[in-house]
Amino acid sequence: MSDPVNPHALPYAVPHSALPGAVWPAVPSDAASRLLALQLQFEQSQWWPPEVIEARQFEQLQQVLAHAQRTVPFYGPRLAAAGFDPRMPLNRALWSRIPIMTRRDVQLGKEALTSRAIPPAHGTVREVTTSGSTGRAITILATEVYGIVWQAITLREHFWHRRDLSAKLAVIRSGAAVGAGYPEGLVVPSWGPPTDLAYRTGPGAILNTSCDIADQAEWLARQNPDYLLTTATRALELARLCHRTGLALNRLRQVRTYGEALAEDLREQCRETWGVPVVDMYSSQEIGYMALQCPLHEHYHVQSENALMEIVDEQGHPCREGETGRVVISTLHNFATPLIRYEIGDYAEAGGACPCGRGLPVLKRIVGRVRNMLRMPDGNSRWPNFMLAGAHKDLPIAQIQIVQTALDALELRAVPEKPFSAEEEARLIEYIRHWAGPQFKVSLRIVDTIPRGPGGKFEEFMSLIEGHA
Amino acid sequence: MTRAGERPTPTVSALPHAVPKSAMPGMVWPALPDPPASRLLALQLQLEQSQWWPPEVIEARQFEQLKQLIVHAQRTVPFYASRLGGLGSGPTFDRARWMQIPVLTRQDVQLNKESLLSRAVPPQHGAVGEASSSGSTGRPITVYATDYVTLLWQAFTLREHFWHRRDLAGKLCAIRHQPDGGAMPPGGDRLTGWGPSTDIAYRSGPCSMLNIKASIREQADWLVREDPDYLLTYPTSVFELLRFFREHGLSLPRLRELRTFSEATPADLRNVAREVWGVRVVDMYSAREVGYIALQCPDHEHYHAQSENLMVEILNESGARCGPGEIGRVVVTTLHNFAMPLIRYDIGDYAEVGAPCPCGRGLPVLKRILGRVRNMLTLPNGERHWPSLHADVIHKVAPILQQQVVQVGLNALEIRLVVARPLTAAEETAVAAHTCASLRHRFSIAFRYFKDIPRGPTGKFEEFMSELDT
Repeated sequence: MSDPVNPHALPYAVPHSALPGAVWPAVPSDAASRLLALQLQFEQSQWWPPEVIEARQFEQLQQVLAHAQRTVPFYGPRLAAAGFDPRMPLNRALWSRIPIMTRRDVQLGKEALTSRAIPPAHGTVREVTTSGSTGRAITILATEVYGIVWQAITLREHFWHRRDLSAKLAVIRSGAAVGAGYPEGLVVPSWGPPTDLAYRTGPGAILNTSCDIADQAEWLARQNPDYLLTTATRALELARLCHRTGLALNRLRQVRTYGEALAEDLREQCRETWGVPVVDMYSSQEIGYMALQCPLHEHYHVQSENALMEIVDEQGHPCREGETGRVVISTLHNFATPLIRYEIGDYAEAGGACPCGRGLPVLKRIVGRVRNMLRMPDGNSRWPNFMLAGAHKDLPIAQIQIVQTALDALELRAVPEKPFSAEEEARLIEYIRHWAGPQFKVSLRIVDTIPRGPGGKFEEFMSLIEGHA
Repeated sequence: MTRAGERPTPTVSALPHAVPKSAMPGMVWPALPDPPASRLLALQLQLEQSQWWPPEVIEARQFEQLKQLIVHAQRTVPFYASRLGGLGSGPTFDRARWMQIPVLTRQDVQLNKESLLSRAVPPQHGAVGEASSSGSTGRPITVYATDYVTLLWQAFTLREHFWHRRDLAGKLCAIRHQPDGGAMPPGGDRLTGWGPSTDIAYRSGPCSMLNIKASIREQADWLVREDPDYLLTYPTSVFELLRFFREHGLSLPRLRELRTFSEATPADLRNVAREVWGVRVVDMYSAREVGYIALQCPDHEHYHAQSENLMVEILNESGARCGPGEIGRVVVTTLHNFAMPLIRYDIGDYAEVGAPCPCGRGLPVLKRILGRVRNMLTLPNGERHWPSLHADVIHKVAPILQQQVVQVGLNALEIRLVVARPLTAAEETAVAAHTCASLRHRFSIAFRYFKDIPRGPTGKFEEFMSELDT
């Protein structure tokens, strides 16, 4: 016997029809049809072999480069130097001669990176400022086309994870709409665009993060959602809190996370506390979606229809499977501020082919920013993979952060739930010393709160060493 | 040939690798198509999903759509005002209530043409046009349909290309009935694309057309000159063409697939097509007045009912639904024609119900489409069955160009032949013996010779016809 089908869950849900009398198949509005026409293409292209996907990307990038060379001052000389000729097909060899650009280039070159002739058909242009978690906000211009592709991939993510569109979605995020404050939050009739552009959805509830984590958990329990969307560290804090307090979310089916590297124990914590999986996504304001979690695995698939992603080592060579390198990304459709071989500042581990059969490249892990890398006194660097889960279980900690203040010094910042005893303090320091090794001096600083970055991002580890950010 | 471990390079112009036409400058992939193309692709996405739904989900969606149609028909179509009772008004609408609706015959449609028309077609459904008249039984009927119905017709045409992963850059040749009498040999007619269903959304290769009135030799000459990747034509005439190619040692080196429509496929057509042209046959089952009824499965030789276009019921003599392996009347209900709804319409064909398909699609399976009642043989003991003539064997015993078998009495057949030269008595005897063996009865047989055996008004040809009053 097969399971009973939920007719509201993708892919059983039927779009809104704009034609009276036509409920199935639906004949949607023009805007919804456009979104669904993209969805059909995504549905197909995800199964293409990698070489077909790459060939299509280069066809599209040829358009971007031709446009950039003609209308974006920053790129004129760069692309000419790399030997780009808009009359010749683009290939990988030529592509890799284009210099990689940094966040700093984008900050300094905002004007020079703006197209002097954005195609009017690409729609209105708006300014997009990134969260600036590294303290370096950048601003780009984005077209409506960029927005449409963003929406289409949002919808793809729902398709991949077969969401029940009639369910309730709760969102906790910083900078959420006015009126989304505790205790009420903002209750809205639908999940919002783009989902409700094409489909009928259940209600949504939004809370901004101006309240503390206990209030957030209390609000969540009151909302009793089917899906929770929030940042990865917040999800972890909420799961820990609910685990400790026994606060139940009995309808919850999935925790959806974005915006931060996943802590090692997040998936386990969510399974243990709520019995649900975590579905993570990798996106940024200036690029849109870069990778989505595979429907069948915990790794990610690059969203090759939106951007070309390269993972490169320190010498700029492509990383092989299992290697961790810098994420270099190129947008395929933003003709207002094209970003070509842009080093976004994150590191990721390249994966092998996925057993699910999708041809979209695999990222095994997204490990975060350079400044989240620990510099060892011997000159090496490593990704801190803290065993803080253990500390959280043993000790009354509300929040904890480790900051590298010098090549041989770590500062442990902690917000205790109740004042630590001397023995607890010593135990906490011992945790870190044990993990980091004898070459580090470890100090403890008790604080009232650990502020998040402007985008609401929280970093468990941060390095303040010069030249590292 | 590819070596082990090596993947063949996919043809990028072949579905599903082909990319639609983009209406957005600078955006080639993914494409942002114009509104008509987006609408067609939005439908395609839905068809892509719904084909995999379990049968009960598909049927539930059909009833949701049928409820819309029933309410509309009851309110605005005089013929249905009393016929449907209170069917659309109740909160539940299921198969049990549905089965109470009387079956609509072709004669009903002919006699009630005016009262079957809606008095209030939703203006959003677009212009109403004459869909067609299909006269293979000699009883033409006329149906009116909206632009919306045309849109769906296009969506299913495109689905058929998706299912069979056609290379849209390939050349398509069609030999078919031409209502305007055009596309005559030797040149036929040349078009720049495969037609609106593909060209609205995709770039397609060239298409050449030839009128089915062309002789087999003219068809063969034309095909050799055109050298197509795909050939679309009637299964009976292509059977003759295949024999002609075999006898004259001709070939179509680029041909990848033989597409057939409109008639029941002769039993050995698939084998002969494989043998002579090295291609598979992809058949479809459609009717001008209702659109696509069933398409051949991408992985098997049977058919899937197009449940998103119509409700297909295969009914036995007592009006109950047939199970797998049973043959019954094809009764269809169009889901979307609000101009002239056809509700439980007995289209006049017979089909065999198949078991669920191993391909995983939830769309019902038709094992065989057997054609019309008048293509059924009646044995003297009253038993009736679908004759299988194995025409290819007959062609091996005598120089026959075309043949048709007509049952003229309970015990009597007329074999109509077009021959290359007069048959000897021995050849006639052999043909008669073979025919009797195929039909499992010793009929008395008369031969009648023709210069050409005429097709029906829409180009259909029937291999077997019964003139008994059924």
